Amino acid sequence: MQRVLARSLVVVAVLGLSAVSAAAQIKIGGLFDLTGVTSEVGKAFAQAVIDHVGLLNEQGGINGQRIELSAVDYGYKIPQAVATYKKFKDDDKVILINGWGTGDTEALKEFVSKDQIPYISASYSGHLTDPTKTPYNFFVGASYSDQIRIFLQYAKESWKDASRKPRVAFIYSDNPYGKAPIGAGRQYVKELGLELVDEEVVPPSFQDSTSQLLNLQKANPDFAYVNTTTSWVALILRDAQKLGLKTKFGINPYGCGELLPKVAKEAAEGTLCMMPNVAYGENVPGMKAILDLHKAKAPQVNTDNLYVRGWVYVTVWSEAVKRAGGELTGPGVKKALESLRNFDTGGLTPPISYTAEDHRPTTRCAIYEVKAGKMARVGEYEVPRKKEWLGL
Amino acid sequence: MSFFLQLVVNGVVVGGIYALVALGFVLIYKSSRVINFAQGEFLMMGAYVSLALIVGAGVPALPAFVLSLGFAVVLALLVERLVLRPLIGEPVISVIMVTLGLASVLRAGIQLCYGTDTRPFPELFSARPFLVGGIPVARGYLWGFCLSGVLLALFFLFFKLTTTGVAMRATALDQVAALSMGVSVKRMFALAWAIAAVVSAIGGIILGSIRGGIDMGLGGIGFKVIPVAILGGLDSVPGAIVGGLLIGVLENLSGGYLDPLVGGGVKEVAPFVVLVMILMVRPYGLFGTVEELERV
Amino acid sequence: MRCGGFRTTYVADDQIFETVYPKIGIAVLGLALAVLPGLLTSYWLDVVNRIGIAIVGAVGLNILTGFAGQISIGHAAFLAVGGYATANLAGREGWPFWLVLPVAGLVTALVGMVFGVPSLRLKGLYLAMATLAAHFIVEFTVQHWDGLTGGVAGMSVPPPRLGALSLDTDARLFYVIFAVVVGGVAFATNLFRTRVGRAFVAIRDRDVSAEVLGVNIFRHKLLAFGVSSFYAGLAGGLLAYQAKIITPENFPIGVAIDYLAMIIIGGLGSVLGSVFGAVFMTLLPEVLRLGFTALSGLSPKLIGAFASIREGVFGLLIILFLIFEPDGLAARWRTVKDYFRVWPFAY
Repeated sequence: MQRVLARSLVVVAVLGLSAVSAAAQIKIGGLFDLTGVTSEVGKAFAQAVIDHVGLLNEQGGINGQRIELSAVDYGYKIPQAVATYKKFKDDDKVILINGWGTGDTEALKEFVSKDQIPYISASYSGHLTDPTKTPYNFFVGASYSDQIRIFLQYAKESWKDASRKPRVAFIYSDNPYGKAPIGAGRQYVKELGLELVDEEVVPPSFQDSTSQLLNLQKANPDFAYVNTTTSWVALILRDAQKLGLKTKFGINPYGCGELLPKVAKEAAEGTLCMMPNVAYGENVPGMKAILDLHKAKAPQVNTDNLYVRGWVYVTVWSEAVKRAGGELTGPGVKKALESLRNFDTGGLTPPISYTAEDHRPTTRCAIYEVKAGKMARVGEYEVPRKKEWLGL
Repeated sequence: MSFFLQLVVNGVVVGGIYALVALGFVLIYKSSRVINFAQGEFLMMGAYVSLALIVGAGVPALPAFVLSLGFAVVLALLVERLVLRPLIGEPVISVIMVTLGLASVLRAGIQLCYGTDTRPFPELFSARPFLVGGIPVARGYLWGFCLSGVLLALFFLFFKLTTTGVAMRATALDQVAALSMGVSVKRMFALAWAIAAVVSAIGGIILGSIRGGIDMGLGGIGFKVIPVAILGGLDSVPGAIVGGLLIGVLENLSGGYLDPLVGGGVKEVAPFVVLVMILMVRPYGLFGTVEELERV
Repeated sequence: MRCGGFRTTYVADDQIFETVYPKIGIAVLGLALAVLPGLLTSYWLDVVNRIGIAIVGAVGLNILTGFAGQISIGHAAFLAVGGYATANLAGREGWPFWLVLPVAGLVTALVGMVFGVPSLRLKGLYLAMATLAAHFIVEFTVQHWDGLTGGVAGMSVPPPRLGALSLDTDARLFYVIFAVVVGGVAFATNLFRTRVGRAFVAIRDRDVSAEVLGVNIFRHKLLAFGVSSFYAGLAGGLLAYQAKIITPENFPIGVAIDYLAMIIIGGLGSVLGSVFGAVFMTLLPEVLRLGFTALSGLSPKLIGAFASIREGVFGLLIILFLIFEPDGLAARWRTVKDYFRVWPFAY
């Protein structure tokens, strides 16, 4: 049982009435998925945010003020997210929201623009990068669209057969999260001169993907990008192994991680993972704080790169809140976020920059490969920061 | 041709699991006229309890499975005694709702104890596929398929030859008459539920090992089993098997041929379209008893 | 002094309120509702709005399942049709809300009648299965007919306008919602004083006898589906305005099960029961949440378990109500009322 998670969840006020606050409090809203369809990746993220906020408060808060995190589990249910947002806005009066999934982020994007509350989501959807359309949306890491572009670029560069073009395919789930980067992917395939031979759609939840993979096998791609979460990626990989597919799979950051080899076992060997942040325990300066915290408190169950992701999210927005200084309002924090230029997160992610014209924090992303059940870093890659790709 | 054949073979083999779960469903209906919407949750119970025993308590695989089957039996007996028995004679809608409520309670129980994240499940069968005439088939599914066949034969013999089996059939046909003949109707109900839970738990263990990991999504099979049972005939054991295989094949064929046209999703909805068609044309399914169906 | 039921004219028999007290009660309730938005915080106003929408949906389902005896697990699908019809008419075409809501209701009624056709051949369990299948088919259509429904990304709905006034706050929407609630409840209560309503009840109780008595089963069953779906369409439309954005995720099978639970807990075949059930089911998660926050001081572990406990309590309540109170809250309310009405006598 996640007893450690429960201990950390002391700070979680589950949709209750929030306490009347003193003026010198930094109010942050947190929407997390602890029990819904993406909870396998959502729990570690949530715990990291809560832990890091706790650490900051222990160290005196931001500019001497405590952070009051109103953390809510919305179970990846959009109507619940909308209701919680209303509570954050009207009752808690938050100045920033640490959000989670693509579905709810895209549902709330007009609300946050109108109400001027910065929304930093765990969703890397490329549709959130254009400040003319979504001025208050941010995320920390290369967008899903840039990730698929990096994968395609890697595919092209590692292709050694000069006699023909490499064949690529996309497999994605039937929801906004799954579909987010596909448009960008299709366009970039043409630009790079690759051959898009197949696209397969899987339901958000399924038992068996053999029929989709048989169709994939007919097209016989050399590379395939899978955009769904870990449990389903594992099923797809195992079915692919059963059919003897020779395709090299690239997986999005919410479908891959330390958990994937444990679930998919042998079938995960050799798959490539797009990782906007480093794996847990990697030798970078920012990892020290995490490792120290875990050594000091009881042994941590979540030794997952999702934990690192949640941690670094707090690193970024707490820096913005610090820079906002006395202007602790939504627009004030937004301006502070847009003042970040090549902000160093201690090596946990590539340097982060936002501007008022471009909310893409970085166009660099690391690729890891699953070797012998562990994540091995292959390298960090970059795509150009093209203006016409903004918002795609 | 090979594409078609692969889809059919895979469908037959996947259908084996559907058949397994539908078997439990049909048994319960056959003896107590209850549609058990919680069948998917019984399946999850089997998987989660085995996982807890193997990973949590370090029990070796085979004893762990036997223990989890035992747990399933106990659970089924409790459910039958506490939840279903007070509702004998109540209108259909109450019975439907009670199993839906039961499904929620079981799901909540599992979530409380084990959380909602994906848990790696030990591999019972090697991941290397078994070749059926050159077509690769997951070993786990093949086991499920064979198991359904074995159970079909066992149940056929059970209902035909043993006293208890005949008593169960009598209870299904006419409870009052069976009671007056000295059959303990209560015990028949309990037995039916126990067998159904065991069969579902086995299905859960097999599914868990095929997927490599278990999570709350496993219970979704509970709804899918309804078209299977109705296609085969709600009170027919061979019908459950045949229905399972047919629906498995239908799913794979529609997935393989129609999904690319529509952009996905046909695979999941096809069994329900078939369900509606069956209900309009022949509601008692392929092998169900053509009874006074109370139609308008 | 009154004792039992004693009526001397048909008009008296048909009356909804026999004494003046319920009428006073209703007036007071109306006044309370009128001032409610001013007293509540935005969060609780949102809850109250959701209660209103649930009442409309529950009354609709009760007409079909409680009064006409046609079991339907497809209510979520009809809500979806109403919601998307509203999103299209209000969002794409820009129609005013007082036109959009009735039209959305009519569209849903038509769809409901189409799905009601199986009821002409099926009863009980089999009809329930057919409506379950209908739900999944509608869900599939909603997810993949991108042109009409925006696919999995959903559609956003602009706020309703009354002339120059934009009803975009929860408080203003409250009046729209409760206007529909009052109208819907009044209509439903009166429906069962008319010939059509009595025909529904006759079909539920013994359809063969009803047919013998001259009730056209075909027409009345379709009409039951139609009326029930009209209510569902209204509820779906109001939901679209309230949530401001609808996606296929707003209408999972759990919603249909929730509505069934509402009418069973409230009381099948009773409009008042639908109201009770809707209020109960919508407030239950909120009460649980408050209880949890209060108890969180005792044991932090409890908080993480909130979502699963909520689902467990929901299921447990359904089971307990079905075992101990099968006629629902409305029956309990009647018993309590009768007790006080004839007190200190026993009957």
